[in-house]
Amino acid sequence: MIRLSRHHTERIVFAVIGLASVATAVPIIIIVSSIFFSGAEAVSWQFLLEMPRDGMRSGGIWPAIIGTIYLVVGTGLISIPLGVASAIYLSEYAADSYWTRMIRLAIVNLAGIPSVVYGLFGLGLFVLFLDLGSSIVAACLTLSIMTIPVIISTAEEALRAVPQSFRVVSVGMGATRWQTIRRVVLPQALPGILTGVILGLNRAAGETAPILFTGAAFFLPKLPNSIFDQTMALPYHLFVISTQVPEMPITIQYGTATVLLAFVLIMNILAASVRSWQRRKREW
Amino acid sequence: MFDNPKIRINELSVGYDDGTQALSDVCLDIPENAITALFGPAGGGKSTLLRTLNRLNDLLDVSISGEVMLDDTNIFDRNVDVISLRRRVGIVFAQPIPLPFSIRKNITYGLELAGERRRAKLDDAVEGSLRSSALWDEVKDRLDDSANALSGGQQQRLCIARVLALAPEVLLLDEPTSGLDPISTAKVESSLQILKQDYTVVIAPSSIQQTARIADLAVFMLQGELVEWGSGEDLFSAPREKQTEEYITGRFG
Ligand SMILES: Nc1ncnc2c1ncn2[C@@H]1O[C@H](COP(=O)(O)OP(=O)(O)OP(=O)(O)O)[C@@H](O)[C@H]1O
Ligand SMILES: [Mg+2]
Repeated sequence: MIRLSRHHTERIVFAVIGLASVATAVPIIIIVSSIFFSGAEAVSWQFLLEMPRDGMRSGGIWPAIIGTIYLVVGTGLISIPLGVASAIYLSEYAADSYWTRMIRLAIVNLAGIPSVVYGLFGLGLFVLFLDLGSSIVAACLTLSIMTIPVIISTAEEALRAVPQSFRVVSVGMGATRWQTIRRVVLPQALPGILTGVILGLNRAAGETAPILFTGAAFFLPKLPNSIFDQTMALPYHLFVISTQVPEMPITIQYGTATVLLAFVLIMNILAASVRSWQRRKREW
Repeated sequence: MFDNPKIRINELSVGYDDGTQALSDVCLDIPENAITALFGPAGGGKSTLLRTLNRLNDLLDVSISGEVMLDDTNIFDRNVDVISLRRRVGIVFAQPIPLPFSIRKNITYGLELAGERRRAKLDDAVEGSLRSSALWDEVKDRLDDSANALSGGQQQRLCIARVLALAPEVLLLDEPTSGLDPISTAKVESSLQILKQDYTVVIAPSSIQQTARIADLAVFMLQGELVEWGSGEDLFSAPREKQTEEYITGRFG
């Protein structure tokens, strides 16, 4: 066995770590660039804003785009208030008891459940038992159940990162607990909470399985009129045109994939810039 | 000499949930418009006593017995409004902890909590309290900068100012000059001399020397008990108890 000087060990370790990060980045770059490269020619304003024609073999993907926006907005309306409120409760009010430990355990485990299980659960609870049918509401509720644990755990972490001394000072100046949360703790935790919200909604935008049985439509000739209608959605549409439609032009498949990726990428960039804004703004 | 007590502490005992008995049967009258200095070795219960006086210990799990009369009400009474108690009895901690706001907002924060929205009132409070804590001249041109940009000594005076802005009756100061340079310390000490004309000041000084310099009433605390108290001059020139003498002459603690 050769003995290496500390200097050499250091260089080898850095080289290995560097290789590892390149190895992770390369496949992502290849996938993203090959899809964007092949999809770019398909993407145009018509493609984005027109209804599909000829059994989806030509025309655009407007109903899938608008459907995904509906689903993300609806999921946000349900999961953001619930998730943030739960995080505030867990971090600021709940004592460390058997019950809060159980709740935390449940949240951690929920985050690891495969998304198809959420889909089946949504089918059972919202579509059938609550009789909402396969609809935008049912899909949003199902996606919310998947998103809420992500929001709760990131938001709770962000709240806990705010120094305890700020709370003591604020209460010492005659603030109530809620005033302290509203005026000191939440503003400091906001960027962290936003990051969690965006990451959670991002997942909701990209998943197919949870909406498959709860609200996604194979093809609809017109846009949904109410939250009780079904809707098309980008990830499911991509699945459909890639596997279920014979003689599908490959450019449309690539174009759809490009739009979905761009959607998710934009949300990710948003999350990243919120994070760096948070670091610059932080006062402790 | 002190016949107008603002606070009367009666057989006060405080224990933390880990079993530490931080104060045992403390009895003390705290005079109005004077500086009462609590001094003694580490762990004597000075901080605990200060935090008890505006019920900030409520945030922790503490067991309390005895009574603390502020004017004519026992602050532990069920129907005491803790929020307004904390406005009447303001506290400044050893570590200056500015809230993550601007200098101005740090001072208006307490007033805004109480519902004050008039711009003129808030501006007056900012200027008045910064003048009282001897900080005004240093910050008057950058009130909207982050409070974190201030030096440690300035931050500590800001923390005093933001409590003064609430116009409290009692001012609690826990080692307010620890970590300050001699010049900042002198500034804080001289502003205390002015403040005591309007407030009841209770302070845990950072050193024996500081106690001797500023105390009107000096109180020696040892392991949760009051050993001895008296006017600053008397206690330092002729301590009655052996433990006090040993501590102030440096042979102890
Ligand atoms: N939050 C707490 N939980 C448990 N015990 C505590 C807590 N705070 C203080 N104590 C204990 O209570 C006793 C009195 O502490 P306190 O901080 O009041 O003393 P002090 O006189 O202010 O000391 P110092 O001069 O070091 O500031 C000590 O034994 C301390 O360990
Ligand atoms: Mg202390």
